[in-house]
Amino acid sequence: MKRILVIDDAATVRLYHREILEQAGFAVTEAINGLEALEKLETEGHFDLYLVDINMPKLDGYGFLKALREKNMPQAPAIMISTESSPRDREGALIAGANLYMIKPIRPEQLLPQVRGLLGEGDSS
Amino acid sequence: MLVQKPSVISDEDFQKFREFFYRKTGMLFEDGKRYFVDKRLLERMAATDNESFRSYFTMLRFQASGAELQALINAMTVNETYFFREEYQFRCLVDSILREIVARRSSFRPIRIWSVPSSSGEEPYGIAIYLLEHWPLLEQWDVEIISSDIDTRILEQARNGLYAARAIQNMPGPLLKKYFRRVDGHYQISQSLREAVEFTRVNVHDTADMRSHRQFDVIFCRNLLIYFDDLSRKKTAESFFDALNPGGFICLGHSESMSRISSLFQIRRFPEAIVYQKPLEAR
Amino acid sequence: MALKKGQPTPACHSPGERQEPRNLETLLQTLLDEDPMKRRWAARDLAEHPAAAVALVTQLQHETDTTVLQVIVTSLGCMANDVAVRGLIDCLYSEHALRRNAAIEVLKELPEPVAPHMGQLLHDPDPDVRIFAVNVLESLRHPNVEEWLIEVILKDDQVNVCATALDLLGEVGSLRAREALQTLKQRFPQEPYIRFAADLALKRIGVG
Repeated sequence: MKRILVIDDAATVRLYHREILEQAGFAVTEAINGLEALEKLETEGHFDLYLVDINMPKLDGYGFLKALREKNMPQAPAIMISTESSPRDREGALIAGANLYMIKPIRPEQLLPQVRGLLGEGDSS
Repeated sequence: MLVQKPSVISDEDFQKFREFFYRKTGMLFEDGKRYFVDKRLLERMAATDNESFRSYFTMLRFQASGAELQALINAMTVNETYFFREEYQFRCLVDSILREIVARRSSFRPIRIWSVPSSSGEEPYGIAIYLLEHWPLLEQWDVEIISSDIDTRILEQARNGLYAARAIQNMPGPLLKKYFRRVDGHYQISQSLREAVEFTRVNVHDTADMRSHRQFDVIFCRNLLIYFDDLSRKKTAESFFDALNPGGFICLGHSESMSRISSLFQIRRFPEAIVYQKPLEAR
Repeated sequence: MALKKGQPTPACHSPGERQEPRNLETLLQTLLDEDPMKRRWAARDLAEHPAAAVALVTQLQHETDTTVLQVIVTSLGCMANDVAVRGLIDCLYSEHALRRNAAIEVLKELPEPVAPHMGQLLHDPDPDVRIFAVNVLESLRHPNVEEWLIEVILKDDQVNVCATALDLLGEVGSLRAREALQTLKQRFPQEPYIRFAADLALKRIGVG
């Protein structure tokens, strides 16, 4: 089962993403900010995909992704999510190493094909 | 214990509480812990005369002093002190942390360890015994152990090093014989160890107290920060940052995480434990 | 070589460094020192001098070292006087993410001094500032929190401001919020997230 790390400081958002992804057959781990996500990498190894909010306390999405990309571990795709729709955020996300940038609130029918695509699973289901 | 019929904590209440407690303390209860959590919550509800979970939760959230949150954390953590508690961290100290510190040390100045809070001394003496028993390089290096607490009575107790049987339950027989002597049904730590550990009074919220403690290589601060509010926790962690040498380490309790407190430190995973490090290049 | 009794600070510690008195005047000077460690200590000690708020706020705007920046923010939070709180609130408008996030974290811990500014922040023209304001409400132990949140979900046009408020209402909401939650679902019928979060909040309130 593919493992996805959902990183967002809002509990309801984490729960929402968890339900969508678990129903689609993925295993989900949650982290409350970028630092906790880095700690999860240490304790639980690497994940197959990262769903990362941009604005978070302690370490934001950019900071997390930068640290992730510098790590000596198998690199996995990352989707960055933000409430802002400015081109600057999108650009920042892609420069930081995100594969995709999405704007909140997320709809399942937008998210799942992208997740499957990035995981190389096609969109057959 | 409960006089009136306890009100039921619903699944939704449990979820709501779990998220709140996780955010405040970093402790996450799995579903399997439900019985334990409910039991503690009901006890605290009874103790505070709250008949419904809703009224208790409101009190917990909005009480300006945060006293009930502290009482609840106490109830949720079994906070006993005894020798070699969370021993894996001591293993981490000798097998990983000190190895790294020694490897990059350019002079033979002493290695300094700070244990806060000292409580009645089980932790600093435990570290001392662990080093003597498990760190052969102690023959080549001087180690200084400083231990601090806010409570002067408990510091006096720590200096005396007198323990009931309960505190030494994890201490192997030979070590007990080697480092303790029996005194009226109690166990007193040997004089040489008592003389080797320096105890000082420190209020971690007081910047002058904190400023007077410096240049440590390792800080043990276990199960203390969890009781503070976010701001005091952050302030204390920042003071620890300046009490450490560059590249120094801080060890927290097993249910605590620096990820919730401050981004000043780097996360380091050793085979035995996760610890936090002041960056080597930090000034 | 062995265990040795040590001192809280080694005697050989950087000679001369702590000789100067730590009064307001010298601390303000040290706050501008080129050594970040000295700036951190000055910023930390200045928390006890309310008159230093202006200097800390000014330094906060120019500080380039992230460790010093965090200590300044913490000190302003400990101080929590009017100048300090306004300085922290100004950071919500900062383009600098670290400064902004650090300020939000600390503002969350200051219910009393922040409450008078809440009405204004929740009506700020910039939706991001409104989101930050709702974020600040998260840890605010203040009796008006639920009322503020209800007003947000009834009136704010931005779906993400409402979504942030919803997250919190799931935790603090009471029966008073029921109607507003149901109205919100109708305001954003196309958003599955709003439906999910509102239903969750209703369920937790006990009317779902």
